[in-house]
Amino acid sequence: METKGISAKDRTLLDALKAAIIALDEGEAVAAAEKVVATGIDPQLAIRYAIADAAVTVGEKFDCGEYFLPQLVISGDLMDVVTKILEKNIPKANLQKKKIIIIGTVQADVHSVGKNLVSTMLKAGGFQVVDLGVDVPSATFIEKAKDMNADMIALSSLLTTTMPYQREVIDDLASMGIRDRFKVMIGGGPVTKEYAHKIGADAYGRDAIEAVDVAKKLLAVE
Amino acid sequence: MGLTLFDILQRSKEGPILEEKQFDMSIFKKTQELQKKHGITYDPEHPLDTTGELADRVYQAGRELFLDIGAYSTTTRRAIKVTEKELDEEIAACPQEIELGQGPDKVKMAHRSVEGTEYPVVIAGIQTTPYSDESMMHTIYRLCAQERSIDGIWGGILLTIDGKHEIIAGTPSEIYQYSKTISILRRAIEAAGRPGMITISNAPTAPATIAMFDEQHGLRRSDYIESTGMSELKVAYDDLSRTAYGLAQGIPIHGTHSSVIGGFSATPEGAAIVAVAGGLQLVVVHRSVCFRCGTVDSRIKSRVTRGELWVAGTAIQGMSRNTRLIVDGSIGDHPAAGPGTKQYLYESAAGHIVSTVMGAHSTEGTRKYVVGNTCNYGTPLESRWMGEVCKASVGMDRKQAEKIVKFLLGKYENNLKDAPAGDTFENLYDQRTLQPIPAYQQLYDEVKTELRQLGLNFRQ
Repeated sequence: METKGISAKDRTLLDALKAAIIALDEGEAVAAAEKVVATGIDPQLAIRYAIADAAVTVGEKFDCGEYFLPQLVISGDLMDVVTKILEKNIPKANLQKKKIIIIGTVQADVHSVGKNLVSTMLKAGGFQVVDLGVDVPSATFIEKAKDMNADMIALSSLLTTTMPYQREVIDDLASMGIRDRFKVMIGGGPVTKEYAHKIGADAYGRDAIEAVDVAKKLLAVE
Repeated sequence: MGLTLFDILQRSKEGPILEEKQFDMSIFKKTQELQKKHGITYDPEHPLDTTGELADRVYQAGRELFLDIGAYSTTTRRAIKVTEKELDEEIAACPQEIELGQGPDKVKMAHRSVEGTEYPVVIAGIQTTPYSDESMMHTIYRLCAQERSIDGIWGGILLTIDGKHEIIAGTPSEIYQYSKTISILRRAIEAAGRPGMITISNAPTAPATIAMFDEQHGLRRSDYIESTGMSELKVAYDDLSRTAYGLAQGIPIHGTHSSVIGGFSATPEGAAIVAVAGGLQLVVVHRSVCFRCGTVDSRIKSRVTRGELWVAGTAIQGMSRNTRLIVDGSIGDHPAAGPGTKQYLYESAAGHIVSTVMGAHSTEGTRKYVVGNTCNYGTPLESRWMGEVCKASVGMDRKQAEKIVKFLLGKYENNLKDAPAGDTFENLYDQRTLQPIPAYQQLYDEVKTELRQLGLNFRQ
């Protein structure tokens, strides 16, 4: 929690914004964000203080069973709305770019539950997430990552016989000479840390919580 | 005239178009509403509904959910909906009894009642697990098929063809591997002296699943074909292609759907409602004649947490009390712990007791929840256990079942995240005599004695 340079009055306002996001109260959150803008609080500071902290708390609530996937989706959408309000007075050139993650379940695999959780948690964790869905071919992952100038590709697989498609994406990136442009994280029921190492992935996420931590570490996000 | 598969396909092309996220969130909103409307509350102190009154309300809420939002076609991005009249006609038209297997190995799979005295059909075998080679595959299949407490077995997979070519779903290697190795399953049941025994297998894609059907060497019309509903309340044309083949060839269709605690169902109460709606989806959309309406927990890799037992048990009970459908429970099929451990046996027993007492069969095999690429990760003794527990639970009342389940939860529920990994067939069975090693047999007997003392009526 960053508190340096925030007056007690401003902190009260930012705490109200944070509390409204955590409570998933869109009306209160929008009103608080408008007040923050009107007061002239540094928007970047407000984002770091209120939204980033709210994302951590929402993640903790999910981890302990108080919140579920729908609440993560709602909080992710709410954070987008609030961020847009806070950023409206910042010149585009000065906007801090979010790290972009392309995520999906690999080809021939239609399992979506784990991938949806990771996708939603990453979004709540402050990343810009592009979810390509399930049964996604290697070429689609790579094309989207190139188009979006993404920072990471996250690949989910729930079947032993679809795990080779995780390797295929990494091999294709290497063949195209762009392996270094994107970090690759893998996960899914049968996938292990050892397998990630074996196929040359940059990281392995055992579950949604770990995936967010790993992504933050790998992409040097505070 | 009832609905046909082609009516379903038509609706998948003409139903309301909506984004997947919109559909997902509608599950959450509607289940929250129905939970309140029907006063559905999960009490962790009571992992089983021992009166059926709550299960009836869950069933009603599940019906209302399915009628309100339908099933989502991920292929066409539309909702498939039916009217209440159509739903009732489809439920009424479903058979109350089917036959599986052949000759002396044939069994009847009929609607079971709560606390029913009819034996459930038990299909065991290490479900869809990887085997190291064809010889090991044959040996383990044969030994599983020799277990007299079970009625059928599941097939598994090899990770390579001829030890060098990788098997990849959606490619020719998948079709080759599945259609070739299914013959090993047939040879194994013949070697075990049970040639008519039910054999089941399921590949990642419809073409590879269909390619396994061969009356001489593969799956037969007397087995069933799996048509899986995606979590939560979704269906793809790949699933309906399996249905189409089953209908065209006269093969019984078995459906599977899981609600997700922590997913868009959110709470255990929501997951119970979605489990019922998922069962109805399997009957109406997938044209299943028998089906599993289960649940998974998004945070824990086991199917027998306290919440999961309540969700699946209540949904099964609701189905059993309010319809004459053939329900599959199989709650104890995927323990967090591995084979060769007491925890595996405790977890498996808890799930299968609930399935049986609440009015279901158990046909989804045995297997540790996560096996990864570890080969031969299971033994025939887990199949024996599944069959013995299911059959020993027959006729038990729900109060006694709850007492035993609470005892079992006390044994494992704090160890689910760090469950013991167990061991492989090579280390749990003597490779010369092909019998369980003494330590494993002793562990098995100890747990069996414990459960017998608690009231399980083992035949031997």
